[in-house]
Formats: sequence, structure tokens, C-alpha cells
Amino acid sequence: MTRLLLAALLAAGPSLAAAAETVKNPESFTEITISDADSMDPAWAYDTASDMAILNIYETLFMFDGASTEKLVPLLATKVPSHANGLISADGRVYTIPIRNGVRFQDGTPMTPDDVRYSIIRFMLYDRDAGPSSLLLQPLLGYTSTRDDKGRIKPRCYQDAARAVRVRGNDLILTLPKPFAPLLTILAMWAPVVSRKWAAGHGAWDGSGKTWEKFNNPEKQSSPFFERANGTGPFRLQRWDRRTMEIVLSRNERYWRKPARLARVIVKGINEFSTRKLMLAAGDADSIFADASQYDQVRGLPGVQITTGLPTVELNPVVFFTYHVNPIANPNIRSAELDGRGIPPDFFADPDVRKGFAYAFDYQGYIRDVMRGMGLQSTGCVPSSLPGHNPNQRTYTFDLKKSEEHFRKAMGGQVWKKGFEFTLAYNSGNVERETVAQILKRYVESLNPKFRVDVRPIEWPEFLDDYISSKLPIFIMAWQADYPDPHNFAFPLLDSQGSYPVAQKFADPRIDKLIDSAITETEMSRRKKLYYKIQELEYEDVPHLLIVDPVVFRTQRDWVRGWVNNPVLPDAPYGSYYYPVYKAAPVKKG
Amino acid sequence: MVQFIAKRLLFLPVVMLGVTMLLFAALQFLSPAMRAALYIKDPRQLASLDQVIQKYGLDKPMPVQYGIWLKQLMRGDLGYSETAKMPVADAIKSFFPATFELTCVAFLPILAIGVYFGVLSAVYKDRWLDQLSRFVAITGYSLPSFVLGLLLLMVFYGRLQWFPPGRYSLDVDLLVHSASFRHYTGLLTVDTLLNGQWSAFVDVAKHLVLPAVTLIYIELALLLRITRSSMLEELGKDYIRTAKAKGLPGSVIVRKHALKNALIPVVTLSSLLFVGLLSGVVITETVFDFPGIGRWGIEAAQQLDVPAVLGATLLAAGLFVLANLVSDILYAFVDPRIRIG
Repeated sequence: MTRLLLAALLAAGPSLAAAAETVKNPESFTEITISDADSMDPAWAYDTASDMAILNIYETLFMFDGASTEKLVPLLATKVPSHANGLISADGRVYTIPIRNGVRFQDGTPMTPDDVRYSIIRFMLYDRDAGPSSLLLQPLLGYTSTRDDKGRIKPRCYQDAARAVRVRGNDLILTLPKPFAPLLTILAMWAPVVSRKWAAGHGAWDGSGKTWEKFNNPEKQSSPFFERANGTGPFRLQRWDRRTMEIVLSRNERYWRKPARLARVIVKGINEFSTRKLMLAAGDADSIFADASQYDQVRGLPGVQITTGLPTVELNPVVFFTYHVNPIANPNIRSAELDGRGIPPDFFADPDVRKGFAYAFDYQGYIRDVMRGMGLQSTGCVPSSLPGHNPNQRTYTFDLKKSEEHFRKAMGGQVWKKGFEFTLAYNSGNVERETVAQILKRYVESLNPKFRVDVRPIEWPEFLDDYISSKLPIFIMAWQADYPDPHNFAFPLLDSQGSYPVAQKFADPRIDKLIDSAITETEMSRRKKLYYKIQELEYEDVPHLLIVDPVVFRTQRDWVRGWVNNPVLPDAPYGSYYYPVYKAAPVKKG
Repeated sequence: MVQFIAKRLLFLPVVMLGVTMLLFAALQFLSPAMRAALYIKDPRQLASLDQVIQKYGLDKPMPVQYGIWLKQLMRGDLGYSETAKMPVADAIKSFFPATFELTCVAFLPILAIGVYFGVLSAVYKDRWLDQLSRFVAITGYSLPSFVLGLLLLMVFYGRLQWFPPGRYSLDVDLLVHSASFRHYTGLLTVDTLLNGQWSAFVDVAKHLVLPAVTLIYIELALLLRITRSSMLEELGKDYIRTAKAKGLPGSVIVRKHALKNALIPVVTLSSLLFVGLLSGVVITETVFDFPGIGRWGIEAAQQLDVPAVLGATLLAAGLFVLANLVSDILYAFVDPRIRIG
């Protein structure tokens, strides 16, 4: 049947070529993806689908210069602080950031340094479970959560934040408890500027020290920013239709720079790949999500441009084990007991269970057959594009004998004797992750007829809710850098306060200590050694399965101009920063 | 006749009550905690599950719980759908018009073509028309809808660019979401006309063509074959032989005598078909990116979004009961013995 479908597609070739000659909807850009956004609140959003929309609506103090992952240029600031220009103090603890004048929010009100201060403090104190707040809490306040281990709010957070983030004239002054090298790259990605007045007027936190606790770790939909937006960016949020998974952005005509060339950007989720591909071929989509397994199907489509070999700063996919699954109202662990019809909540706390799974995955086969060779097996949490990567680190290999050995030992032999059944979840429409799930299922179930793994797709926002509330025994996700530094991989993937370990209920004090040492270490060679040790402990603990360190490709119409691949931007290379993007008829060769 | 219809209408709430009982009984397979989770909109609320159990009386005896649940249903409170990110009742209101529109567009041709060619196939048994209709029926019945849908998309969208997927194109998307566009019915073909937007109507109609054709081709087969076999059965009966012996013209025998009697199973099947289409045509809606109730229902089922699944089931059950009522009334029209007996 596949051949039949391909034959029909080939037959469609000539007319698709005709479609390539004119630019369809020249002022609109349609991106077809597979995920819906989770929230439009910059203090909540911590997923690529949401962050990609936020990137185009709101603005940060700095941004990366084109494709560079190191060089910053000012955006809402007027200068990038450095020791050379004297805007970073000699001890590396005080940053002075001059704020741009003449910038207006989309509602027409002017942006002030106080808005910048409010936005950074709100970003930190909002601190929802497994959210992005720790990215700034750690460098600015010296701790990663506003709550203690028992979930109680730490009383002095607001005072600490107010002391760390101040306004002096037209400058923002940041005072750090200790030097933190990647601070500026974090500010280039996070805590975009929102209007304090607009926020308070719509029922969000008003910026007062008396009320902040009420807005700490709130419910997602309680925020006025959840589905409305008022940024300074080149696009406005015109509509977010969660029913049809569609985000429509319209050009901000009052943008402080020259308005964007695109009048409209539509980001729409369609899980069916064939429909995405046909829309691209017909020119109704300008760019689509296509993963390595779909590469052969988009290659050679007339009017379609494939850019291959794009570097990434990500680990994708990663299989995470939840050490203590939330058993409340959770059908994913069935009976919640080791009785052959479910799993106990602490099933994956047993290292032999995790190792049993680790040896039951065909890493090389996956990279060869599914990824079409686009990547190498991951050797640790630090990807090959960053310092601290250890190419010689020990890794798990596909070995069903070893897998069986570990399963036989697990939980005093009861796992092998009684068997198990649970749900393995991935986000709907993601074929690569579905394939990972199916491979694990196939090999694990082949070991013992009493082993049963149910693979289930879940829509992205619900998937996020479920993993955050520790309801998924195994979940497949990815990690894309928040900023290009090994700390940004070690911390979220391995530190007990990191977003994944918090959801997994994983903690190894040895790793925490090493991560803490590595971030304050300024000598790179010593830092590298610390990350090597961290990755060796990661191998021993096996809290997750790292599968591939990928290179990726982008599929777009050949009339798309101005797109720049910056692997650090959310959802790269599929998502875009649309400000420089426009459409123009391709130049004919010959 | 009026008495017959009234009786049936009075019976309708009883049937619906039975349906709610069955659904409620199915719900009891879930633990109180699991049922409490149906009322939760945010994972954070899992911590206060006990309060939710108390608030909704989920630890009370079953009849009490049923009473509470029924009261909620009567108020239109079907819970909250995580998949649609809105209350279930709103989700149904939002998704149903698209499916209803598609169903109407597909169902009338199914009925017309199915009955007309079914009758002709029986009359011209084993002739070329019968063979052709057999071919259409067999291919339609055996061809998976996603294959047919994709093939149609490839040819009529990929190659000819005539009929795109989705519910409307970019320009119409902007129009229907503009403040000036009034949504009278939720049926875009109707609303575009009522708004005086002729070109938008054409666009919306174009988007309906391929999913409708897919449904027509797939669903036609059964009706065609049932009509044919029912007609063949009638045409072989003694009263038809008598009519022929009396010298009645063939067309009169077919239209006035055989067809009317052959319609009973056709009416039954048609009503089931209509309900089936209205309950959602999952694969067709998925392939054509058509935001209908079927696609929502299947996403909800995949994500164990129980309130949504219950809401969709309740809707399907309600539609089924209504369709049964309509078919009962039609039986009475077709065969007077039914309303008398």
C-alpha cells in the first residue's frame, strides 16, 4: 500500500512543480507542526511549542546574533555588559544593563526599566512546579526554588529578589551572590519583558512584596497571560485556538524596529504526516515538522528545500524513568502493585529495573534505521557540541542477555516471577518517540511473556501535565538547551532540583555536589573534568536512557527567505524567529 | 399516526435514562479517586483529591451518587475536557457543527445513490449495471478510509489543487474569525451564505468535497447491497408475480409495490448510518484535518479524558435514540401495519 501511495504522489509531481513557480500567500507564513502550545505565559512556558510563540510576541534584553550560540546583541537593552565596557563588575557579581528608550508594548504603553525589573522578579517568584524559574533563581538568588523540600514558601524570596534586581535611573542592576558565567545567555532566552501595569490590571501579580506568595506556583489557567499577550515583540498574539491547535500571530505595526515583513504567522498542529506533506507540496504550508524517519518522503519534493546537517544543542529523544510514580487516580500503573497487572509506584526506583530497560534498547539500530544515520549514540548528558562532552564515556548497549539478568535480579526476583504492566507515553504525532517506545516494548516484552508495556500517545499539553505530576512511569521527551552551556544539560537532567529529576523524584547528592562545583568553576579544563565525573555517575544511576546526539534538517518551501538556524532557539530547526523571515519567488537557475 | 409518534416521544426520556444508568454503571469501574480526577483541571489539584471526593459525593452510596451525577447532567455539566481545554458541553457545541455539516453533505448522496442504484442493481440483476454497483460496493467496503482519503488528497489536492484539506483556507480563516462575521449556526456553509460571503461559501464547500466523497464511497457500499438484496427478495415474491400476471408495467411494480416493502431494512440501515456519521468519522476527520467531534473523541479516548469520552458517548447514545425514533416513524409511514399493530 505504501508503494501505491508513493506512486500516486510521484504522479502528482508535475503539478506540484507548477505550484512552486508562484509564491502562495506572500505575506503569511504557515508552519505545520505536531504540538500545541501549553501556555502563553512567559513565566510558565517551558516547552518548545509555547516558547516559540513567546519568542515572537515578547522580547528579552539581549538576543543571539543570527546563528551564533555565543555572540549576543542588545535587544531591549542598549548594550551587552562585559568586563571590557565596565558594565560587569571586577568580581563578576554586579551587572549594569542600560535599558532602551522608546519601546512600546503592543497596547501602546511605553516600556520602562521598572517593567524589566518586574518581569525578571515575576519570572523567578512565579516558580511553578518543574517550570523555568530556576534558570534565574539560581544565578540571581543562589537557590533553585522558592519553596523548601516540603513545599512551603521560603519567606524571604521577595526581599532577596528585590535586592538582586534593582533599577537605577535608566539602568537595571543585577547583583549576584556569586559569579555565574552563563547569566547573559540566560537573559537572552528567558524572562521576556511584560508590562507591569497590564499584568496588574488583568489580575496578575502587581509586583508587591505583600502579595507575591498568592501568585507562587499557581494553576496554569489562572494567569491572565495564559492565553492573552501584550509584549514588545514583532508579532501580536491574534488568536490561539486550542480546539484546532492553531496559533495566529499578526504583525505588530507599532514595533520599535521596522515592522516585520510577514503580516501574519500561522502555527498549526496536524498530527497526520501525509497531510502535512501535501500541504507543503501544495504551498499551503511554508514549513513543516518532519523527523528523520520522514526524510525520504520530503526529499525531492518540487518547490521544497531541505537543509540538512544542522547542528543541535539537544538530546532527543530521552527516555525518563519516574522513581516514585504518583499513584493517585493514575491508570498508568494499573493495579499499583507488583501483581502482574500493574507496577508499584517505586518500580523504577530499583536500579535493576532501569538497567533491564537500558539493555533492552537497540541504540545502533535506531540511529541507523530510524534516524537514517543522522546522529551518534549519546555518551552522556553533555552533547557533543558543548565543552564537557566525553566521547569515551561508557554507554549502554543492546544486550538482551544482560537485560534479562537485571530483570531477574529486580525487586528480589519478584519482577521476573510476577511480571508487570504499565503505560509508556509519548506525545502524539512524534514518530521518532513512538518508535523508541515501540522498540522498548518489543524487546522488553520478548524477554518474558508476563511483561506488558502499553504504548500510548498523549497530546502535548496533557503530556506535560502528566509528567510534571509524576503520573507517567516512563515518558519520552527531549532536552533542548535553554542556553548553550553544559550546566544547562547537567542541571535539568541530573540535579535533584532540575525540572526532570523533580518530576522523576530522582536525587543523587553526589551529582548535586558536582554540578554545584562545576557551575562556580571558572577554569574550563577543571570544569570539563567535573562534567566527566557527573556523566560517569549518570551512567551508574541510569535515571534516563540517552539515545542519540542528533543532527537535524529543516523542510521548507524554496520561497522562504531570511530564516536562520540558531540551534538554541525554541523548537529549532522547525520553529522560527519570524522577524527576519519573508517570502520571495525562488531565482531560477540557468 | 399522531398517537404512535406521541407514544414514541414519551418513551424517549425512559430510554435516555436507561442510557445514563448504563454509563453511570460503567463509571463505577473506576475508583472514587479516579472519578474525582474527572473534575480536576490542573495537576496541582491532585493534592486535594479528598476534598473533591467529598464535594461531589463520590464516597456516597451508588444511588445517591447517581442522583448527583444526573442532576449535573441535567444542568449540562458534563465535566471538563482536558483534551479540548474547555467544559465538555462547550466542546460538543464547538466540534459538533463541523461533523454535522460534513454528515449532511455526505448522507444525502449516500441515501440517493445507494437506494437508486440498489434498486437498479436488483432490477437489472447480473447485467453490467449490477456488476458495476457490485464493484463500487466491494471496493468501497474493503478500502480503508485513510487510504482512499490520502489517495483523493494526493490527486485532487496534491496534483490538481482543487480541494484542499482543513475546513477553510487562510482568507476564510481570517474572515470567520473577524468581528464582522456572525456565527448563526456553526455550519459554515450556512453562515457564510447568511453573512453574504459567496466566495467564502465556495471555499468552505470546496473543503467539504474530499471528506464527503471519502465518506460517500466508503459508506455507500452497505446501503447499496442491502437495498439490492431487499429488492431482490421482494421481486421474487408471489404478489409481484401476480402483479406481473395482471399486466402491470414493470416500473409501477418496482416503484409502487416492491420498493415500498423493500424499504424497511433500508430505513433501519440509513438511520444507523446517519448516527454513525454524526458520532464522528475519526479517520476521515484526521486525514483531512477536519476539526469534528470524531477526532476530538479519539484524542480524548487516547488520553483517558473520561469526561470527554462520557460526553461523546452520551451524545452518540442520544443521537442513536433519536435516530431510532425517526426510523420508527418512517417504518409507520412505509408500512401501516406497524403503527396499527
